[in-house]
Amino acid sequence: MNFGGWLSLTVRLTVALAIGLVLGLIFGVPWAALALVLAIGLAMQWLHLLRLLRWLQADQTELAPELPGPWGHLVAMIVRLYRRKQFHKQRLLRLLRELRRSTAAMPDGVVVLNPQAEILWFNRTAARLLGFRGKTDFGLRIENLVRQPEFVRYLRGGQFATPVIVRSSAGAEQYLSLQIVPYGAGQLLTLVRDVTREARLEAMRKDFVANASHELRSPLTVIAGYLETLTTDGDIDPALAGPLQEMQRQAQRMTSIVQDLIELSRLESSDAEAAHQPIDVVALMAQLRQDVLARPQHPAQVQIRADSNAMLLGEELQIHSAFANLVENAAKYTPADGSVQIRWWVDEDGGHFSVTDTGIGIASEHIPRLTERFYRVDAGRSRATGGSGLGLAIVKHVLQRHGAQLSIDSQEGRGSTFTCHFPSERLRAAMNVASAVAASVQ
Amino acid sequence: MQAADISHHTSRRFNEDLERVRSKVLAMGGFVEDQLSRSLMSLVDADSSLGRAVARDDYKVNGMEVSIDEDCSRILATRSPAAGDLRMIVATIKTITDLERIGDECEKIGLIAARLATIERPADRYREVKHLGRTVQMLVHDTLDAFARLDADAALKTCRQDRVVDEEYEAIQRQCITFMMEDPRTIRRALDVMWVVRSLERIGDHAKNICEYVIYMVHGKDVRHTSLDHIERELAERAVRQP
Repeated sequence: MNFGGWLSLTVRLTVALAIGLVLGLIFGVPWAALALVLAIGLAMQWLHLLRLLRWLQADQTELAPELPGPWGHLVAMIVRLYRRKQFHKQRLLRLLRELRRSTAAMPDGVVVLNPQAEILWFNRTAARLLGFRGKTDFGLRIENLVRQPEFVRYLRGGQFATPVIVRSSAGAEQYLSLQIVPYGAGQLLTLVRDVTREARLEAMRKDFVANASHELRSPLTVIAGYLETLTTDGDIDPALAGPLQEMQRQAQRMTSIVQDLIELSRLESSDAEAAHQPIDVVALMAQLRQDVLARPQHPAQVQIRADSNAMLLGEELQIHSAFANLVENAAKYTPADGSVQIRWWVDEDGGHFSVTDTGIGIASEHIPRLTERFYRVDAGRSRATGGSGLGLAIVKHVLQRHGAQLSIDSQEGRGSTFTCHFPSERLRAAMNVASAVAASVQ
Repeated sequence: MQAADISHHTSRRFNEDLERVRSKVLAMGGFVEDQLSRSLMSLVDADSSLGRAVARDDYKVNGMEVSIDEDCSRILATRSPAAGDLRMIVATIKTITDLERIGDECEKIGLIAARLATIERPADRYREVKHLGRTVQMLVHDTLDAFARLDADAALKTCRQDRVVDEEYEAIQRQCITFMMEDPRTIRRALDVMWVVRSLERIGDHAKNICEYVIYMVHGKDVRHTSLDHIERELAERAVRQP
């Protein structure tokens, strides 16, 4: 292996030195001759090095200098390295361009953020939806341009499981859904979608349900009123008694559905947090028990177990309706020889209200969908019991407004437990009864 | 870009402080934008509870102003900023005052909207007011964008938009006078509508002020109380001198 013309350079230098030495000996100045030869050799190498440096500095790879010996070899090696690098760079660039082109063509907006939430890149759709402009916006914090308070809270909150829906602030009636997806080393991918149509449809649906149920209420009241008069009227043909009673039952059922719909749409119309009125849960439980026992058919045992007398801070009417729905459900689906237990206890996680029954239970595949409106495990059976199909949806909405959660635990054929978990800030220690009495006396 | 100016400080903490203040101002701006949009919504949809909610939330704007003001004073006292940084702090202190005033105007609109919701809406459902409101919303939005981007050109362009707001204000004023002369029973409502459009016009003026602070922050040129054409000429000359 020839070390890049190293050998030829050494040979040439040796020959030049030998010739210099011979000539020096002939003229009687051997050292001066040797020094001269070395100086010339050094100068030549110096020149080559200079040309190499100048070439590298000029950054023009095509015009490679023709250099002898190892210098030429060095130039060739540099050129090869450079070409290889160029080739890889081109390939990467092409790949990157393809990737960007495909993301740019996406119908959804995409914004890439660094961990400080500064904008690294966005596609055309995102620019259109969020009003970003060209490259000047790279490096700006996203919350400085997308300033809606809901989004800023979402970005700081760090809970990115669900998207946030904001109104466009540019004056136009436009709704955007923004979702952040963390990836890589703290990078954030923001997906932007125009949901104006969906938001409008949703608003229309809510309006429609609210209006329709209000409009249905008055005619229903009239029908139910006349049916009541007719069934108690002794002059009616006995053959009609059965149908009349059935009509009355159905009218009652319809009234309860309409009432639930009105209540649900009222709960939906504002997502404000519920008030903080103190509610005496123990008294409420006693009242719920009375209500169940007043039903014509009810489970043999309805027990109350109050492990705490802490007050719950919330909106009394809503909490009453949610708890009543849970207790009624339990009573409805529990046979006459079964039992229902209502329990209220407090631990370090907060307050818990649970209703346990020994009823028919629910198969596990139905549990996640139970709180959907009109969802029925068994259509025939629930109609027979006269439910509106909205009870658990109401419970879910009420709990949401109180910052609480519903957990459902059930085994088919064995019974179910519905538990509401309230956060600690929704609790207040009950006033000592004695001191309360004393206070009222004074 | 001017944004880069902020980024080469010896002290990283100083950078972060400045950046945080800027973000806080824009968060406050975002909240004010939301207040404006909700107050207009409450007027157009005759939603009295929304109008009252807007009025109730004004205390948050005031709180933000106080907090940012404190931050600015602290930076002035501890860092003694110079040149661009000083201009930024000074402009910020002025900007939040105007933002707070915009918040106050939104509160007024919310209260009036809550009152107007109890009486019958006019046949056109406040079409003109809605249009003016949209123009003002755009104005505030563009102003805050210019502030975020430190874009003096955009700020200047937004300044010019204020003239459109003034014209629309005049038009609605004339319309209201006509209504009142035609049917004295509408006087009460027309007066309330006048207050709303007056507030919107004031919001436009505050937005214009903020634009002027942006120009001051970027170019170090006080452009208050000068005509727009004059400003434009000056800025153009400046651009020629320092390409």
